[in-house]
Amino acid sequence: MEAELVEADIVVPMKLSFKKIQAYEKYPKGQSRGRWKHLKQILQAENFQDYPPEEPNYMNIESAPSTQPCKRICDITGYQAPYVDPRTNLRYANADVFKTLRSLSTEQVQQYLSIRNAAVVLK
Amino acid sequence: MPFVSKIRRQTDYNVFPSSVPIVIDNGASYFRIGWAGETEPRVIFRNIVQRPRHKATGETVTIVGDQDPALMKYFDCTRSGPRSAFDSNVVYQFEIMEYILDFAFDRLGANGSVIDHPILITECVCNPVQSRSKMAELLFETYGVPAVAFGVDAAFSYKYNQLHGICKKDGIVICPGFTTTHVIPFVDGEPVYKGSCRTNIGGYHVTDYLKQLLSLKYPFHSSRFTWEKAEDLKLEHCYISPDYASEVRKFQEGTKEAEEKTRYWQLPWIPPPIEVPPSEEEIARKAAIREKQGQRLREMAEAKRSSKINEMENELRSLHFLVNQLDQVEEDDIPSFLSDTGYASRQELESTVSKVTQSLKKARGEPKDEPEESEENNDSLNNEKYPLLNVPDNMLTPEQLKDKRRQIFLKTTTEGRLRARQKRNEEELEKERRNQLEEERRRENPEFYLEEMRAQYKEVLERVEQKKRLKTNGSSTNGNHKSGGVGRGERLSAAQRERMRLLTTAAFDRGKGEDTFGSRDEDWQLYKLMSKDHDEDDERPDSDEAELARLSSRLQEIDPTFVQKAEGESSQTSGEAQRARPLTEEDYKIVIGIERFRCPEILFHPNLVGIDQVGLDEMSGASIRRLPNGDRELEERLTSSILMTGGCSLVPGMKERLESGIRMIRPCGSTIYVVGAMDPVLDAWRGASAFAADLNFLRNAFTKIDYEKGEDWLRRYHIRYNNL
Repeated sequence: MEAELVEADIVVPMKLSFKKIQAYEKYPKGQSRGRWKHLKQILQAENFQDYPPEEPNYMNIESAPSTQPCKRICDITGYQAPYVDPRTNLRYANADVFKTLRSLSTEQVQQYLSIRNAAVVLK
Repeated sequence: MPFVSKIRRQTDYNVFPSSVPIVIDNGASYFRIGWAGETEPRVIFRNIVQRPRHKATGETVTIVGDQDPALMKYFDCTRSGPRSAFDSNVVYQFEIMEYILDFAFDRLGANGSVIDHPILITECVCNPVQSRSKMAELLFETYGVPAVAFGVDAAFSYKYNQLHGICKKDGIVICPGFTTTHVIPFVDGEPVYKGSCRTNIGGYHVTDYLKQLLSLKYPFHSSRFTWEKAEDLKLEHCYISPDYASEVRKFQEGTKEAEEKTRYWQLPWIPPPIEVPPSEEEIARKAAIREKQGQRLREMAEAKRSSKINEMENELRSLHFLVNQLDQVEEDDIPSFLSDTGYASRQELESTVSKVTQSLKKARGEPKDEPEESEENNDSLNNEKYPLLNVPDNMLTPEQLKDKRRQIFLKTTTEGRLRARQKRNEEELEKERRNQLEEERRRENPEFYLEEMRAQYKEVLERVEQKKRLKTNGSSTNGNHKSGGVGRGERLSAAQRERMRLLTTAAFDRGKGEDTFGSRDEDWQLYKLMSKDHDEDDERPDSDEAELARLSSRLQEIDPTFVQKAEGESSQTSGEAQRARPLTEEDYKIVIGIERFRCPEILFHPNLVGIDQVGLDEMSGASIRRLPNGDRELEERLTSSILMTGGCSLVPGMKERLESGIRMIRPCGSTIYVVGAMDPVLDAWRGASAFAADLNFLRNAFTKIDYEKGEDWLRRYHIRYNNL
């Protein structure tokens, strides 16, 4: 290893005296990926439905959708958007924005939509 | 910058007895570790791991946190980006968590055989048991810690601020974090998780929103907007507007205030080299070089010509010599003599002589000896030139008849040529006259003339374009479909389509009824129509196009502002024109105006980024509603002590916005008091440190024996914060 790296000491040593089991023993190469349950799977395995609903858990402390009217802002400029383009589904504020909106490529339109989680997702 | 890494290796690990707990604030963005009872964590780093390959040795190594980018050149990072152990705010990848803990304990200076200190580590509110038990397992099995305690970071922060009199024992903590935002009510100094509330939005989303907006706004510079850069921009420039709608209107109307609030980020821009017009000397030098080259070429051509002339002269001389010899040769010997020379007859020899003479003259640049003007007075010559013309046919032998026919042909062609020339001359005169006329009109009233010309040009141009459109099926009437989006039928011109129709009828309709094809002569014209594409119409410029060319050339002469419309250019959009021009400094200037408050706005309106949950202000209302009883007095006490903590509460304007937002959802006249934490970033660790320093701490912690009681036990495990 280069002297510069040794001096900077950025690499975590392979063997650490304070560990009972070293990482390389636990995770031989190539085993690590996909071993871990994602949050969704973890939550499913928790079986929250088996517990009384008044007991707080990770699922039921999640907040509900807002009761206030949904705020609509122009996807491109951020102005308040009274209009929706039926072709691209983008919200826009005025005619000038509409012009730029129509000059966008499909890819850009989808990117704008995906920001607010409204893009067409092909599965 | 509130986020600073501290990764120097500590040397005083062995000074602390094994009873002193180690305190860890395991946040989704930053990891902080230190000793209980101290006010500052010893080690702070970004909670990420990279596992790149070391280029020289090929080993996979572990690098934790942000490191000097200059050192990363020794590693091959193409297959391993920075990874986090968190999914949302829950630890799920314990392999990564292990690397992080390795690094943390190593930096704290641990060097014994196990970590012989109790550990207090933070987790999210209502952490799933699976995650909690895996963390406990890791700490007990791998590091051999004697005892572990789990607590919530926001609660520690509240308790720490309560200790310092910032907030009361009843209150609400609002903690916008990295990936999630929590609101937890406190009653009698204990968090009530039943009333807590989580929205899955945080600083991560704000930075991501900013990054995406900017890279969509400036697609040319999208590579500039790295995660780190966006984070820096957010920390430096973002603020929360008191009212989004009115703030955005200021920008929309372009008021002075908006102008002042707009920030600019100038990217490094190198102006393109300016082309210096060549100096006089340069021009002269170049001209001299060109002249020299021309001279050399001329000399070469001259040499070639003279050698050719020489050659021809020699040939001519030898031919003359041959002719002279032929004159002297006896009549009978001529054939044998000629066979030696390669000529068939005397005539051939003579014609060769004349040919060579002609070409020699041409090479020398002498005029042809065919007098052109002879055609002027050819009437008198006609009789000499065409002697057989006026002789009746019946007086001629068949050979003479043939000659006569040839003479007639020659005569008619010469006459035709003459007529054509005359016509051409007349036309030229006519044109000249017209030009003169126009010139006069122009001199009389130049303005009016120019107007007239322009109008004429426009009219003709329109006519020509109309014709063209008709020819190409009229599909491009609006000019929008010039490129792309043209269907199959639209590709053919009208003539081509007609031809296709003919072909198909010929192919399929022949068998129907009585076949009368060929009974009339016109039927055969069909093949003529079929065999060509009728494109020759396009080749020949029609009168309109000629007129257009004339007008445009004329306009170019007299009108300096005239721009000839190239074909297809009329439909070019302004966007394409912009791309063509050279990039200027302006193009490298990133304008951050509305984005400054548009991005943090998602904390209050998560639906702007597609998360359908309540925002920060509504959360406190929802949280209070979740509390068991409608105790108005308690509610009053809660809202009069609202603490903001967590990294995102550092955004300027947060306090005012929260206060007005909560006022809107609470009953009229309630006391609302929002206060910021002393240090929103580090208070959680400090609170935890103070908590762990208490003598009663071990009563809140659990050992490996407790852990082995099973998950149900672990689920019910909660610490009591009132130790403090």
